[in-house]
Amino acid sequence: MAPLRSSQHALTGVYALDALDTDAEVARFERHLARCQNCASEVRGFQETATRLGMAVSRQPPPALRPAVMGEVARTRQLPALDDQARHRRPVPRLTWRPRLAAAGAAIGLAVAITLGVVLVNTQNELGQTQQQLSQARHQLALTKTQLAAINAVRTASDATLVTKAAPIGGTVTVVSSAAKRQIVVTTRGLPALRAGKVYQLWLIGTNGNRIRSEGLLAPHNGRSGPVLISGVLPGDIFGITLEPPGGTVQPTVPPFVAIPA
Amino acid sequence: MRASEPEMPPPEGGDQYLNGLLARVARGDQAAFEAVYDNLAGPVYGLILRVVRDPAQSEEVSQEVLLEVWRAASRFDPAKGSAATWAMTIAHRRAVDRVRSAAAAAAREQRTVEVPVPHDAVADVVEASLDAERVRRCLDGLTESQRESITLAYYGGYSYRQVGERLGIALSTIKTRIRDGLIRMRDCLGVS
Repeated sequence: MAPLRSSQHALTGVYALDALDTDAEVARFERHLARCQNCASEVRGFQETATRLGMAVSRQPPPALRPAVMGEVARTRQLPALDDQARHRRPVPRLTWRPRLAAAGAAIGLAVAITLGVVLVNTQNELGQTQQQLSQARHQLALTKTQLAAINAVRTASDATLVTKAAPIGGTVTVVSSAAKRQIVVTTRGLPALRAGKVYQLWLIGTNGNRIRSEGLLAPHNGRSGPVLISGVLPGDIFGITLEPPGGTVQPTVPPFVAIPA
Repeated sequence: MRASEPEMPPPEGGDQYLNGLLARVARGDQAAFEAVYDNLAGPVYGLILRVVRDPAQSEEVSQEVLLEVWRAASRFDPAKGSAATWAMTIAHRRAVDRVRSAAAAAAREQRTVEVPVPHDAVADVVEASLDAERVRRCLDGLTESQRESITLAYYGGYSYRQVGERLGIALSTIKTRIRDGLIRMRDCLGVS
């Protein structure tokens, strides 16, 4: 194991600069990090160092940024504190920082809540695991409430438009969009159940296809999914869904089977 | 240490000051968040602009990041680093996500979008502040390939594989170049 460990250790700098190539590499390194005190403290020092590099290119932001951020802050609910146990199990809360998967919020929240009901019946020795799931569920449900409010705001926006398209693989996809809010809400009905080894992944595709952004994975429940809220939509963006390998990909590997102007 | 003398607030702009503000933000204090904004919006926007390059997109990503600072303030743990580092780490990750997805899309269309990387990336870092001057001096103290690897990865948002390809250097070598360079930078900047 020594060579593997040392090869992972050499990645501390690359990791601290966010320069690993794939999410899989990041996940692998973070597993190593959780076991390697030296690596963790080296990464911390490198991140502080990188921060100095970042501070050195500080720039006056555009004046519109402040009111835009403050406006969002006033209507954005905060995440609850993690309990100590969860904090120790997740030394690097990367997913919290890059909440791509959170986009599938409402559906996941529901699924977690259901799982939770089952898990709670389990035996004592699974209590630790249960508590961790509980704190995750709390986190998810808090997200969900905020998202539901945001979702309703899009649906009731004065400029809301609705497009439903039949997917060639079966089922329908509905997009409600508000240009003023730069947000869309996506729901699906009757998309085929997935074979193992495939996931539905959501994308926003910019004008001329030159800005493709993953908006997380879809978790259909009884053939229905959503509503999923997608923010930061720009004029000309197209919303699309592809079938991708488990965990999703950084960019689509196939053309979307459904594409709707966002 | 400072907690024993609560009547003396920590100096504005320092680590302790920001950490304290973030603890208040975690409890939903919007006034504290405004102070956090005043301290961090410039660095966050500057870094994102440096990586993303397009001002409109940079503004959008900055807004996402600053909102995330508000939303996730309770997840900040001062035992694991300073508040500035926590926020700047989020900013850098989001900026990198943005350029990688844009670059990937461009590559799919077989169009090469050469993101211009100034040959003398160091000169570009020059800023009026003393801290920036110090960073510049420390970057100057690296070997050329350490400096190129670090600036391409951090300011350019390139993955280490891409850095290796651009510089014609093996992947395993890039890893150590970046690590050795960061060790030197860390020591030069006096990061504990």
